[in-house]
Amino acid sequence: MNDRQQEYQRLIAPIEERMMRAVWRIVRDPDDTEDAFQEALLTVWKRWDRICTHPNPHALILQISIHAAHDVWRRKVRRGRCLESAAIPEEIPDPAASAIQGIAAAEQDAAVFRAIGSLSNNQARAILMHAVEELPYDAIAAAMDCRESTVRKHVARARTKLRVLLSQLIPEVHKEERSHA
Amino acid sequence: MRDEIDELIRSRTNGELPAAVENRLRRRLVEFRTKVEQRPPSRLHAFAHSLTAPPAWRVAAMTAALLMALAVGLVLMPRDSRASQVFAAAAAQLRNSQSLEYTIVLNEQPYVAVDFSYLAPGYRRIHCSWGIEVRTDGTTGRQIVLMHAAHAYLNESGKTVESQPNIDDFSAQLRSLPNRADVYLGEHWSGRQKLVGYRLTKAPPNGSIPGLKVLDIWIVPATREVHHVDITVQEPGKPEHRMHIRNILAGQAVDRSIFDLTPPAGYSAIVAPKANPSPASPHNALALQAEIRQTGEIVAAVVPMKGPYAQTPAALSTVRAYLKQQGTTPVGPPLGRYWSEDRWETGYPVQPETHVEAPLQLVSVPAALTASVVVNGPWGRDTDARWGSFLKSVLDQGYVPAGPTMEIWSGDAGQGTQSTEMRVPVTAAN
Repeated sequence: MNDRQQEYQRLIAPIEERMMRAVWRIVRDPDDTEDAFQEALLTVWKRWDRICTHPNPHALILQISIHAAHDVWRRKVRRGRCLESAAIPEEIPDPAASAIQGIAAAEQDAAVFRAIGSLSNNQARAILMHAVEELPYDAIAAAMDCRESTVRKHVARARTKLRVLLSQLIPEVHKEERSHA
Repeated sequence: MRDEIDELIRSRTNGELPAAVENRLRRRLVEFRTKVEQRPPSRLHAFAHSLTAPPAWRVAAMTAALLMALAVGLVLMPRDSRASQVFAAAAAQLRNSQSLEYTIVLNEQPYVAVDFSYLAPGYRRIHCSWGIEVRTDGTTGRQIVLMHAAHAYLNESGKTVESQPNIDDFSAQLRSLPNRADVYLGEHWSGRQKLVGYRLTKAPPNGSIPGLKVLDIWIVPATREVHHVDITVQEPGKPEHRMHIRNILAGQAVDRSIFDLTPPAGYSAIVAPKANPSPASPHNALALQAEIRQTGEIVAAVVPMKGPYAQTPAALSTVRAYLKQQGTTPVGPPLGRYWSEDRWETGYPVQPETHVEAPLQLVSVPAALTASVVVNGPWGRDTDARWGSFLKSVLDQGYVPAGPTMEIWSGDAGQGTQSTEMRVPVTAAN
């Protein structure tokens, strides 16, 4: 096994599943997922030497994957395709739910991703890495090349914005709003 | 604590990856892996990586190498190198300075010292603490010897060539330091001032100190100026003696009036009278030839005095009466030692175990290299002329005074056998 093979075994092999799943969870479309995944791999290829010497290479690779998926999602939102793709969920059928429930779930997914798409790049990446991949703050900070306190601020601001944008999907917030009314 | 927004995002993104999509992504991964494995190695990054994450053996080897370099670099080479540089700079500063002043302390207690002043191109001054001063103008070949205690002076012209080397040698002690010291003595704090010391085990090339054992030179490293010099002398058969060179000023403004060859007001010239020599004196008192010899220690009961020397007979009577009262017999003729008119003493040599009470004192005149001459004739006659001639002879022989002058009075006035032995401790200038 040469040095490159060893590097691949050390850097990519342990997180192949997580990379693929992270992209899929955000994009939720087979073609777009493949495009986003290809973008992520291209970025990893370009930054390969830096990744090799990075203190937390796995967090960095996952951040690259999430960033690529988020970019694809944002482009999709701008093109107005999100509603269409969300209205016809191809790959996540829920056999136990009714057609109406399925459509409602797809609408909720679309609302969540639209809201995330309205965040700044840093806020979106931080909240996705924290919420979707459940990475600790220090790992996110290492991946984003910033301080841990900065990551916490990004996540806090993202939550504040999302709480407003998605208030109808959060039972507690919804209740509070009704009681005030 | 889990945030409800995080929970919402997680719940909306928790779908399983469909197998069909996974297959497509895996194909991409295989292509990527092939690409990575064929990627040419980056030597720069490999090197950087080896530095940032070196193996344990390399860390140990590098640490050992660094420690070794540290030991050689910080402890051995720079210390010696820096020390050499400081000493060489200080020696050069003394050598190249247009003016130089310093004091040689020959003895701390009682204080016996000589002040030296040099100013280019050839002005020199030697001022002894016991009242003798020599001023030399090398540009005109003239010098004046001042005897402050006697308010007399001796003017010489055209003969300074003979005594010039003697005076030069004293300045040369400091002006001819070599570029390298024999031993580095380390650091020493004098109050808040840090000094570094160097040792010479032989006299500088152009200077000579008889019996020199070591010459310790202490330098202020910040300014490269010599702070002071400790001289240890060990002559055969004599105890070790320490002298010091202090108040060293190199390259600073010097008051030119200290080299003035004009006799001070109130001083009388020592002139050779043309009259025939006294019948009692077979030798011409003004052509005295000093004899340089080693003299032994003298212990004497003396009375400290100040003021006119005419008080000498009365002072001697006091000492004689006290000794007689004590039943002590003097072991030699009376003597007097002179630092200045404000400080002199007179008395009789006695046994070392003799006990005396105030105002008398028991003093020791140490064994020393001494210039001496015996002059026959009445005590106190032509004193200035005798001393001028005697000191000139001392200088001409290559010695300079190194202590207070002394007279020993022998003989009997009634029988016309009076004689005076004139003595002064000296040190060779070359």
